[in-house]
Amino acid sequence: MIAALGCRSFSVGSDNHFNHMNMNKYLLFFCLLAGISVQAQLKPEDVKTFTLKNGMKFLVVEDNSIPNANMYLFYRVGSRNEHQGITGLSHFFEHMMFNGAKKYGPKEFDRTMEFNGGANNAYTTENVTVYTDWFPTSAMETIFDLEGDRIASLSIDPKMVESERGVVLSERSTGLENSPWNLLTQSVQAQAFQEHPYHWPVIGYEDDMKNWKQTDLEQYFKTYYAPNNCVVVIAGSVKLDDVKKLAEKYIEPIPEQPAPPAVKIVEPEQTGERRIMVRKDVATPYINIAYHVPESRNEDYYALSLLSDILSSGKSSRLYSSLVDQKQLATNINTSYDNSFDPTLFNFYVVSNKDVKEADIENTIYEELEKIKKEGVNDRELQKVKNQRLIQFYNQVETINGKADNLGTYEVFFGDYKKMFDAPSLYNKVTADDIKRVAIKYLIKSGRTVGILKENTNE
Amino acid sequence: MKGSKYIIAALFCLIGVGIFAQDYKLPAYQKFTLKNGLTVFLMEQHEVPKIDVSVILPAGAIYDGEKAGLASLTAVALKHGTKNYPKQKLDEELDFIGATVNSFAGKESASLFADCASKDKDKLLDIVSELLTSPVFDTAEFSKEKKRTLLRLEQAKESPRSVIGSYFDKFLYGDHVYGNIISGTISSVSNLTPADVQQFYKTNYIPNGAAISIVGDFNSKDMKATVTKLFSNWKQGKQQGSELASKPVTKPTGNRVLLINKDDAKETTFYIGAPGINRNNPDFVAIEVVNTLFGGRFTSMLNDALRVNSGLTYGASSRWSPLKNAGSVYITTFTAGKTTEAAIDTALNVINRLHTAGVDEQSLASARNYVKGQFPPRYETSGQLAGLLTQMFWYKLDDSYINNFQKNVDGLTVAKAKEIIAKYFPKDNLQFILVGKSADIKKIAEKYGPVTEVQITEEPKKAF
Repeated sequence: MIAALGCRSFSVGSDNHFNHMNMNKYLLFFCLLAGISVQAQLKPEDVKTFTLKNGMKFLVVEDNSIPNANMYLFYRVGSRNEHQGITGLSHFFEHMMFNGAKKYGPKEFDRTMEFNGGANNAYTTENVTVYTDWFPTSAMETIFDLEGDRIASLSIDPKMVESERGVVLSERSTGLENSPWNLLTQSVQAQAFQEHPYHWPVIGYEDDMKNWKQTDLEQYFKTYYAPNNCVVVIAGSVKLDDVKKLAEKYIEPIPEQPAPPAVKIVEPEQTGERRIMVRKDVATPYINIAYHVPESRNEDYYALSLLSDILSSGKSSRLYSSLVDQKQLATNINTSYDNSFDPTLFNFYVVSNKDVKEADIENTIYEELEKIKKEGVNDRELQKVKNQRLIQFYNQVETINGKADNLGTYEVFFGDYKKMFDAPSLYNKVTADDIKRVAIKYLIKSGRTVGILKENTNE
Repeated sequence: MKGSKYIIAALFCLIGVGIFAQDYKLPAYQKFTLKNGLTVFLMEQHEVPKIDVSVILPAGAIYDGEKAGLASLTAVALKHGTKNYPKQKLDEELDFIGATVNSFAGKESASLFADCASKDKDKLLDIVSELLTSPVFDTAEFSKEKKRTLLRLEQAKESPRSVIGSYFDKFLYGDHVYGNIISGTISSVSNLTPADVQQFYKTNYIPNGAAISIVGDFNSKDMKATVTKLFSNWKQGKQQGSELASKPVTKPTGNRVLLINKDDAKETTFYIGAPGINRNNPDFVAIEVVNTLFGGRFTSMLNDALRVNSGLTYGASSRWSPLKNAGSVYITTFTAGKTTEAAIDTALNVINRLHTAGVDEQSLASARNYVKGQFPPRYETSGQLAGLLTQMFWYKLDDSYINNFQKNVDGLTVAKAKEIIAKYFPKDNLQFILVGKSADIKKIAEKYGPVTEVQITEEPKKAF
């Protein structure tokens, strides 16, 4: 569900914050893979943890490579916690978290942070809302003060609600204006999930966006923005003791709340292929094919992740090679299998070449899948995707942000940051037969949803 | 008591300085030049076991001549293989070791970035040297690439954000080579041939005028030997047309509007721009600090007015795009079609406010802190450092750009900031680029200056 992210801001200043977001998908596991030694920063014992009396858990990594640090706050709330009438509220709330609390009023959060050399952003998915602060270490106490203030006593000013509503409506509109993918993936997701809240887009329905009420926001804050519903990761040139003292001072007094209600809806099994067409003025069709697959904690997660890489990672991958290079049916092919709490989608995204029948594209993909189901994959292919993930891992742990993001992701989606260190053996265990098995088990016709966006939907 | 007040003030100053006392310094590196003129930078960084390579070449779109898009297609076609690494083998070998090689053209230069695990460095450098010194430009691959490029050019017209920059450059620079469209146009790319690419490569991919930087986990002595061996046979050349970029740019003499009609647009995407600065302008850092206040961060004047106070847009910012001999500056944002006028007027008010009210000590201190605080993460990774070294080569910047950065930021006073605003931040002769639905916004556009209207579906003109 690549198009499902909502983000507070982008391209303000020199960084493109979309890079920060998209970076975070993959994993730390490959450190032990292929017997390659792990850097000092990555030993499990280098991750220090403590939990405050109110239930907020902290992960801390001391890394002095630059005189900076970060704070990543992962709240377990996203669009899956919404219902019709308040769709998009998680993302809107993410915006409202910057609009004033008791000590630091409207605008003061950003002004204070930036005055102290810090910058921030935030993003929302179906599953989580993540707040990211980047700052010179000397500003850490201010950052704690700011975060503590808004978690303890956010003040929802009706005037700010109205101007911020305009901001998210503009965010929705500019996404649709500049890319056909938002429209297509939202449509496919809505077909693939008919009952589960993954049905609606993270950004929300336009009419819901125009009608959220003050009380909706207040209720949301109370229910989900409790310290016990949040994991905090801090990485950088910090000392554990300092972090602990500040956490005790600024965060511990904030009371714990009852656990939020569980999401109980389970999507019923899909028993037949679903197809959807969407019209937009585009040069060539865009295609999104989605299969139902399990959530991140499922044991098949690892084999499915590697299957995705084998299909589309790099120019020698199966689908790039056949669809784009040899048959020239498409100009772009991508697959994705993202982290989630509930069963999710394994997606194929294709941009059609000129004068090509969409059916030829679909059939080429299905033929490649059949080949894997019958003949499996070869050892070199499997080794290749493992090697690629090793480099991805290096790129991530090269920065303090990559470290914070991955540790938080593991803690939240896999239940324990330590799972990050088990992952290498779980990946090593994946065999060619496993890849074949998960392809047979999940990538089945009756469970797929096919979406096509094109100019002429009458033909 | 008088005395203690001073002590407190002095303490605050100390703390203020102390906050950012850990100055960021450029890590040690060595620089040498091969006999053929290729400049080489080597910087060891052992934090993670990988290497990053950055190459910069005098092969950007300013050398396109009449063949817009040629520099870009040539840079991409480097990856179509060499004698020892035909394309399929090249892709397979790079993928297998998890290495990446990307090459692309910019306005003035072409770049190649590559990375891999350090254990595979010899393989990667061998490939990089072959791609740069003996590409084969396979004709079958060329025709596939050209088809994909043409489709992308068509698709770009579906997204205002993808095309507005090219229109702005054409509008601002006119027929100066800085107005050249990097990606080319559908008609120009349609005419490109494999022979064009061969010729462009031969003339512009030359070691004299180029630089390579390698940063990461290696031994410099060994690496020096490897690089010398791999790149010494690359033949020198003499480039044509390198003087074109130094021709003076004609500056606009009044407000002008370029309206790009997109019939199905629901938003108006716009730039308000003007001539900017050269990259080696001595006030570069001071301009960056002032721009931080104007439109370079979340609480900037522009984002505050257009987003936070009014909800007119999701984001508004101002950017500088400096080149060797000229540059541009522009405000960029977007808004719903019906709020076009409100958004443009608000942006113009902010420009006006910058010039009339200026900046105060408090806000300037905030900008200085912010720029310094966000500086170290810019050069945290080997890839970032490799890119920095080739940029420094290209714009002839020395280490003081990095090492004196914080000092230069601190040196910016309110009085100096006032001078910077008056000298560099435009307030008249503004160039408006609007992508939107003409039927709804043309009347509004006319308010701001004489309007030239074009259709997004048609080819951009040679000059406006």
